[in-house]
Amino acid sequence: MEQSLFTAIAYAILSLSAITVYGITLNGLVIKIVARVHGRHGPPVWQRFLDIIKNYGRRRSVAHGVMFFMGPIFRLAGGIGTYLFIPAILGSAIFSNFSFSGDLLLVMYFIFFGQLGMALGAGESGHPYSPIGVSRGLSQMTAFELPFALSVIALAVQYDTFSITEIVMAQQGGILNWTLFTNPLAVGAGLFAMLGMNMHSPFDIVIAPQEIPIGPPTEFHSQYLGMLQTNRGLFTAAKLVLFMNLYFGGATNFLELIIKTFFIYMINVAVGVAFPRFKTEQSIRFFLKVPLLIAIAAILFVSLT
Amino acid sequence: MVDPIYIFIIALAAAFLIGLVNKLNKNCASFLFYSSLLIMTYITGNWLIRIMSGASGKIIYTAGFQPPFAINLYMGRIESFLTLWINLVGLLSAVYLYDKFSKQKFYGKILYLMLIMGLNGLVMTRDLFNLFVFLEISSISTLALIAFNDDYQSLSSGLKYGIASGIASAIFLLGTIFLYHQTGTLNIDGIYQTNALIGGKIGFITVFFLIAAMLVELKPFPANGWALDVYQSAENGIVAIIAVANSGAMLYALYKLLPVFPQEYLQYIAGVGILTFVISNLMGLRQKNVKRLLGYSSIAQMGLLLAAVTFLIIERPDNLRIGYIIVAGIFLSHFLAKAGLFWISGIVKQQDVKNWAGLKQHTFLFFFFGIFILALSGLPPFPGFWAKWELVKHLFSNQLGGWVWLILLGSLFEALYLLRWFIHSFQPGRFKIDVDNIKYSVIGIFGIIAIFMSYYTSTMIPGMELTYLLPVITGLVFFLVDFLPVKLKAALLMIFTGGYLWYLFPELNMLRRFFALIFLGGTGIQLFGTFNIGKKRVGFFPLMAILIFALANLIQAQTTIQLFLAWELMTISSWLLIMRGRRSQDPSLLYILFSLGSAFIILAAMGLYYDMTGSVELLPLFTSELSLWIPILLSVGFLIKIGTIGAHIWLPGSYAEAEDDFTAIISPVVSKAGIFGLFLTLILFGKQHLAGISWNVILGWLGGITALAGAFMAVFQEDIKRLLAYSSMGQLGYIVLAVAINSHLGWVTALYLAINHLFFKAMILMTIAGVIYRTGTRKMYQMGGLIKKMPFSFISVLIGIIALSGVPPLSGFGGKWMLYTALIEKGWYFQAGLSFFASAVAFLYCFRLIHSIFLGQLKTRHQNLKESPIWYHIPSYIFIAGVMAISTFPNLILKPLIKTVSSYFPASIGIEGYTVISSLGYWNGNAVMLITMGIFMVLLIFMLMRIRSVTRVGQFNIVYAAEKPDKPETTHVAYNFFAPYQKALGFMGKSRFINFWDVVSQWSHSLSAAFNAIYTGNAQTYALHIFIFIVILYLIIGVR
Repeated sequence: MEQSLFTAIAYAILSLSAITVYGITLNGLVIKIVARVHGRHGPPVWQRFLDIIKNYGRRRSVAHGVMFFMGPIFRLAGGIGTYLFIPAILGSAIFSNFSFSGDLLLVMYFIFFGQLGMALGAGESGHPYSPIGVSRGLSQMTAFELPFALSVIALAVQYDTFSITEIVMAQQGGILNWTLFTNPLAVGAGLFAMLGMNMHSPFDIVIAPQEIPIGPPTEFHSQYLGMLQTNRGLFTAAKLVLFMNLYFGGATNFLELIIKTFFIYMINVAVGVAFPRFKTEQSIRFFLKVPLLIAIAAILFVSLT
Repeated sequence: MVDPIYIFIIALAAAFLIGLVNKLNKNCASFLFYSSLLIMTYITGNWLIRIMSGASGKIIYTAGFQPPFAINLYMGRIESFLTLWINLVGLLSAVYLYDKFSKQKFYGKILYLMLIMGLNGLVMTRDLFNLFVFLEISSISTLALIAFNDDYQSLSSGLKYGIASGIASAIFLLGTIFLYHQTGTLNIDGIYQTNALIGGKIGFITVFFLIAAMLVELKPFPANGWALDVYQSAENGIVAIIAVANSGAMLYALYKLLPVFPQEYLQYIAGVGILTFVISNLMGLRQKNVKRLLGYSSIAQMGLLLAAVTFLIIERPDNLRIGYIIVAGIFLSHFLAKAGLFWISGIVKQQDVKNWAGLKQHTFLFFFFGIFILALSGLPPFPGFWAKWELVKHLFSNQLGGWVWLILLGSLFEALYLLRWFIHSFQPGRFKIDVDNIKYSVIGIFGIIAIFMSYYTSTMIPGMELTYLLPVITGLVFFLVDFLPVKLKAALLMIFTGGYLWYLFPELNMLRRFFALIFLGGTGIQLFGTFNIGKKRVGFFPLMAILIFALANLIQAQTTIQLFLAWELMTISSWLLIMRGRRSQDPSLLYILFSLGSAFIILAAMGLYYDMTGSVELLPLFTSELSLWIPILLSVGFLIKIGTIGAHIWLPGSYAEAEDDFTAIISPVVSKAGIFGLFLTLILFGKQHLAGISWNVILGWLGGITALAGAFMAVFQEDIKRLLAYSSMGQLGYIVLAVAINSHLGWVTALYLAINHLFFKAMILMTIAGVIYRTGTRKMYQMGGLIKKMPFSFISVLIGIIALSGVPPLSGFGGKWMLYTALIEKGWYFQAGLSFFASAVAFLYCFRLIHSIFLGQLKTRHQNLKESPIWYHIPSYIFIAGVMAISTFPNLILKPLIKTVSSYFPASIGIEGYTVISSLGYWNGNAVMLITMGIFMVLLIFMLMRIRSVTRVGQFNIVYAAEKPDKPETTHVAYNFFAPYQKALGFMGKSRFINFWDVVSQWSHSLSAAFNAIYTGNAQTYALHIFIFIVILYLIIGVR
């Protein structure tokens, strides 16, 4: 590291703050858009900020035990860590984060860190519906991980590297260099996986908003809920940045990042408002059919060309 | 120096006098009886010692004339050996039958003496007609002694015996007559010299009659129905003699006649022997009656011995000693064990094999029963093992390799029913026996002789060194101190293990050092967990000692015999340890069956290796000039032991049902033995191709599929130990995949995964053993909420599963990173996808296990549970320290590993500072750990600052949509945790291979039953069988 430790931490905080604010704003914006699609007025775009501030500001909270206490910490640490291991903006000292620590494999596995912690915290809540949610979430996760992993492998073979920075660099020099155009099959599989990752319809049975009014959103409150909500914004943005880097040419400045990630997220939202929800076993089987075939085709495509 | 003729004189005189003396004083008659047997034994023993120290044999002339006008006898090396054993078993069996003899009339004693004398004569005579006479004497005495029991079954089987031996004698006599007509002499040595005169068709028939008659006496298949009935019904002491002494003498008599048989037809005789061996053992599979089972085994063993002798005549070994080892080894293991087993079953008296349950309580009998069963199954260190080893080598190096497979198959069957019997005896049960010290001492004598002969035989094997027997010696040491309390023994074993590791470490190359650390270091640390159970835990520590030192020998292996001996010793000790579990008896049978199958395949490979190289040294050979089959067979053998898909059905049952702390040793440590074997195979033999496909590709797919299958099957388990067993299976699949990549990074990955697996699996299993100890159950849904009662256990298991699933920042991620990089470098993209999927599925069972046990709701009955005893935590926390060390400082392990594998492949990854750089990417484990911990700490401090606002509430205090939750038992989600997954992909978790092996088992049993149908129980049918056998044999050999 050429920079000193303090500089690195300062940059990290800056980068984190930027992306978190963006993420929470993005969340609010999407809620507004979905509401308008539904024909409602929708809450203000900055509502999410108010929720988070309110939650952090609560004076009391209740915990079931140490793991319960630690669950949101794990979750938020997972979100922060995931973001910090991704180089957000190419060539920027501030936004390269700590991507020197590891390559794409690290990021993929670090996503599990937060999930694990959250799952443990949810389990400790003592509520039976929390583990049901976890069981659904994990099941779905294993299903969409397969096409995603194969897509990543296809990328690794195509660009001969696992390093995200290098993948982004290989996509510079024009739109047609994006993976979207050089390896559309891999992108297709990856986008299917993204639908599962972001848990919008049709894959939102995990939290099942209208059905299970209990479980983590209810058991966690006050600062715990605040951390989870913060994480929701941050983690979403982090994943979007990852996808942008892998498939859509990365970003060289913050504006480009905002625009690209917004449109990628719109894919999710568009699918989400149009489709009803899958049951867990349906979503598992879904991922192992068409997306898997596309992913396998992607690998064959890169290994034969 | 007593003239051997006195054997006959004393026997005859005693037999004559017993009748007279008995009228005066019964005890005097007994005295006469036993002392004559004792003197006969002494005479032959004396001769053996003299001849072994170099004296020459003696020809005994009779009637003052030279042969061929008078009969002569010969006492040489083989004769003294055989007659000593015959007389010894005669003496001991007579002692065994002491109360029977004292109750019955004196006729029995006379007949017995005549039998023993007749057998001596069979062995020593050099005259053909005299052979016939002694044959008749033995047969008639046997016939009468069979009816010793005086019940219906004995009488009828005696009659059958009479018919059979009558036919045999008649044919023999015919042969003798024809022979005399052609050669003009009845002296055997004279016949050898005039062999040329026996020619043409009539010559062939002559010799054929003689041989066929002796064959019938040896009870070949299918002409042996009469023999089985005899074995089943006669008195045990007598059957012991028939099974071992009669057979031995008959075989030697046949051996004397074989030189006149046309040499080109000898293979048919061998074929009869092998056929008998395989089919008798096959028929033994379904046998429930103890004595009949032993009968099948006897017939089979004699068939094998016949074949071995014949093979050794067809192709003489360069070193005559090898021939002696083979024959003596098989003979002695059969001789000592069979007699011992018949004697024991005479005391136990339970007719059905299943009713032997509970023998464990009669410690003396149980111990010797075990010794004899192991000896008979051809397991080390007993003589049968050495004989089998040399026989396989001899056959392969003389183009007789095809027979080896039949011999191994028959051995597998035999081991199966014998060991199944042993397992039955280990089960809980109860029966009474009359303790009879005389019988006990007889059994004890033979047991001790068996042990001594094992040692003696082992010293004669080429390439064998005393250090190879170190496991047995240490086992013996711990056996002698088994009265000490558990903690002392465990500490002692740990010191021994640690000391040996210390001593061994400098002597090994880097790869072997690594495995030494896993085997010896891993076991040593896990032994802490054994401090908790029991007061003395008799039997555990000797077996553990054997296991540990066998593993130590394995990693030192420089010769094939060292490797194979260590492998077999490891198999036996681990099997016996698994069998100690409460409900592990059935799974342990599967375990030993597959393990022996794997061992036999490895044995065959070693035999082929000897054929190709002519030596027992394991040299690094980088050329593939050797036969393709050797590495493939070796790999298959090792894969079975690892539990690869297809041959994995033994794994879940054995690991799950074994004692909990032992599972924590066998799963992380012993399973790596197969991995070591795979490494050795690939190092020695390099790449191989099977029908155009690289063998490594096949190996890789097998590893990958095993990883996925293991993970899937683990997801749906309710029993925690079964879950962890399947998990082990899956993790080892990864290691096999990594080894198969056969590149620098691949092997570094494999070794890294191996040590990682040791750390986290040992941690998890030992902690779970503690949890099971406290909660008393293995079902996860019966636990729950234990985090509050057992926080230390929770932490261990948490770290374990994070390391298992590969989540950064812990060490598991490093392994995954290297694995995927290695796979992509190799071009194995789909295998990488498969591994990824398996890794994701592994995540499922990891969470399931920690949630169901530690999170959720605490059951009411566990309210007062305490943390598990500290002994379970010591090893876990040592391993946690290890995991943390290599997670934070990966270089600690990566640098040595990179260096180790560099001796085999050029390095493809490098280290700069803390970053590991490969051709595809990079990873800085240190940075990841620090960053993650940093973030975590910041958040934790932030939360802790607000700790005053946190109120602790009970676990049951939850928001339940305005209702009240009923009971913890119904509020804890654990049963069928992945129900949606089951619905979607449950078909992938079903075990199809069990169906396959079930079918194999059923077919074997049906085949066995089909053959069994021949034995109708009808004496005339049996006579017909004999005739048909003789005719068919004649036709097969062909009238030329």
